[in-house]
Amino acid sequence: MDRIRIFMTGVGGQGTLTATTLFARAALEQGLDVVSGEIHGMAQRGGVVESTVLLGGWKSPKISHGEADIVLGFEPLETLRALPYLAKGGSVISNTEPLPPVGVSCGRESYPSMEHISERVKGCSAKCWFLPCRTLGVQAGSVQAGNIVLLGALCASGLSPFGPQALETAIRKYLKPSLVDMNLKAVELGVQALAG
Amino acid sequence: MAHPILAGNSGEKHLLLGNEAIVRGALEAGVNVVTCYPGTPSSEVPDTFHRLKDGSYYFEYSVNEKVAMEVAAGAALGGALTLVTMKHVGVNVAADPLLTMTYTGLPGGLVLLSADDPGCHSSQNEQDNRYYARMANMPCFEPSTAQEAKDMAREALLLARKTQQPVMLRTTTRVNHLRGPVVFDERPKPAEIVEFARNVRRFVPVPAVARARHVELAKAMENIREVAENSPWNTVRGTGRVGIIASGIARSYLADVLAEQGWEDKVSVLDLGMSWPLPLALIEDFLRNVTKVIVIEELEPLLEKDIRALVQERGLGLQVYGKGEYLTIQGEYTTTAIQMALAQHLEAEPVSPVCFEGDADLPVRPPNLCAGCSHRAVYYVVRQIFGDDAYYSSDIGCYTLGLLPPLRMADFLFCMGSSVSSGTGFARSSGKDVVAFIGDSTFFHSGITGLVNAVFNKHDVLVVVLDNGTTAMTGHQLNPGVDAKVLGDACVHLDIESIVRGCGVTEVAKVKPFNLKATTKVFEEMKAKSGVRVIITEEPCILYARRAFKLVRPQAAYVAEQGPETDRVLNDFACPAFYRDDTGVQVDESLCSGCMVCMQISKTFKARKRSA
Repeated sequence: MDRIRIFMTGVGGQGTLTATTLFARAALEQGLDVVSGEIHGMAQRGGVVESTVLLGGWKSPKISHGEADIVLGFEPLETLRALPYLAKGGSVISNTEPLPPVGVSCGRESYPSMEHISERVKGCSAKCWFLPCRTLGVQAGSVQAGNIVLLGALCASGLSPFGPQALETAIRKYLKPSLVDMNLKAVELGVQALAG
Repeated sequence: MAHPILAGNSGEKHLLLGNEAIVRGALEAGVNVVTCYPGTPSSEVPDTFHRLKDGSYYFEYSVNEKVAMEVAAGAALGGALTLVTMKHVGVNVAADPLLTMTYTGLPGGLVLLSADDPGCHSSQNEQDNRYYARMANMPCFEPSTAQEAKDMAREALLLARKTQQPVMLRTTTRVNHLRGPVVFDERPKPAEIVEFARNVRRFVPVPAVARARHVELAKAMENIREVAENSPWNTVRGTGRVGIIASGIARSYLADVLAEQGWEDKVSVLDLGMSWPLPLALIEDFLRNVTKVIVIEELEPLLEKDIRALVQERGLGLQVYGKGEYLTIQGEYTTTAIQMALAQHLEAEPVSPVCFEGDADLPVRPPNLCAGCSHRAVYYVVRQIFGDDAYYSSDIGCYTLGLLPPLRMADFLFCMGSSVSSGTGFARSSGKDVVAFIGDSTFFHSGITGLVNAVFNKHDVLVVVLDNGTTAMTGHQLNPGVDAKVLGDACVHLDIESIVRGCGVTEVAKVKPFNLKATTKVFEEMKAKSGVRVIITEEPCILYARRAFKLVRPQAAYVAEQGPETDRVLNDFACPAFYRDDTGVQVDESLCSGCMVCMQISKTFKARKRSA
């Protein structure tokens, strides 16, 4: 297979790292070479969370600017912030529902418009998709399931070397039994959102 | 079913965090004792040992790194195969015992995990602890993958047992926090406990003994140099005429650059996985087969300088390249930096694949005190009462995040436990009022000694012990202040107030910070006094309370009335659950923890039952 670098970004508490690990485990289950990385020291306190999954034989867990084949954005401002990581010809899948940083909440800074974000994304990606993960997560059963919605979309996009079924297998194997059904539903909603 | 890290069989492959892989490696060596002080990026090592405890090893969260090191050294003297873990700055705390235990040697075997943090992802500096390996005379392993983290942890422990010399396992954040496949080997029974043989002329380093042991230490390191010469972790690949010597995670970046650029045939690479003591003969052989050499190591140019010295000593006429425009002494390396640096030497065109430079001035997202964090309530009160008249001495923990506006509760900070002592020094020299903040875990770590000193030397400081009942910043580890029910049978709860009084502090008050009126009263009273005063603010960390005590507050706040008063609460209290929309200030119910502090600040905030 081709070697693929995926850069994931979100906000502390969104389940970005849970999604990253689940995706990496799904890849390993499929017999792929995988290495994954995360930076999260203080991220639990509302900071930016960045993580990576590199498939197909990379050694390093890190992605430099211009190296990501896929940027997976769990929060739209963070998608925009991460765009320099995207490689030429790379693709983007992003949540559209903001979590405003404190400067924005207090009215000191302004959040870029979704039009601006999608324009930027379209300007530098070969393919891109946007979906309302929070809403779809709630539809699946919990705000927290929004992360799995995005993973479902990634697996359905044709960019991932494996499809939604492999993700579902990993969900059944690695998530707590009480969370499995909700997250399977989240995958389904992500797949549908991408098709629709 | 037991966790695969405990029960996994030889040949099984699991996706592990670098830190989890270290745990498996230690178990595959038969580790008997593990001590630590948690610190990012090392914390998942002790946390995994704590979570998986199966009776095959002894584990403890020690109160600080020096104590962890001393308990570990005692255990290894008593014959146990021992691992002690900490972050890089923790080794500074532990340096005193460390630099002598290499003189005595430790018959049971001891490995120190030093988790360094190039790039300061969660640290106050980016010191390179390979210096400690050199200064203390410790063999040093530097893994670059999850598999190596597992294998080197085992090898380091086995080497420590065999040679009786303490060994360093030096990681960096990227290694601790990467995930990769790890193929398991057998997990044997715990190592045999080595019988302690009394030997005053070895284990009691009075000056006469120490002088003799220094000679023995040098001999031991020369013997271990032979291990490094033949180590499977120190390998040469390729036949190109340009030589590259690399260590640590930079080895992974290098491998990816060479593969991606198709430069593998142009270079010869010497990978140094066991990077101290230096395999001098191996390096010399390598240098004799290349026309120049590029040294790739993050942070300090230690290998670079050693190799320059070797080139001079052996009369090898070749250029050594290292730190420079792309390969800096600051921060982490990247594949791009290595590619740019190598392109200069391989007469290749560097490629800049960047297709979008990024928007300027995007709103930043600094880490913040959580919604419902009791520290915010304390800080709000302190700002109301002291404003900019006092100076704020901060310490290491979640509460450091109070440095941001509008709370601005940190004017200076050095290290774990420094808030009390440096606060008193600042007050003494400047004549200003000082409020020093310290958390419960940090108080036990090394705040106590500063407090004892403050009382003894009649300093003037108001110390606030922000007791949230856990070591919150690193992931809720146990400390002596943790709730007795949570501590379990193996530990005993210690009462901070009794300790503070025992240290000789007479002005002591305890308050629940979610009661703003009571908190304000206590701070006003203490402001009017002088000398060493301590206020203990007690409220469990909200994340911890949810997890450990299943705390759910049925009510959430909402804004009942918009206006300047509501705006003031938003601007002065700035809870992350607040946000502004077209109609004014709102409370995000899914973020609100129900602490009800905002409605004590202003009647424009009210409580209601949660909607779902």
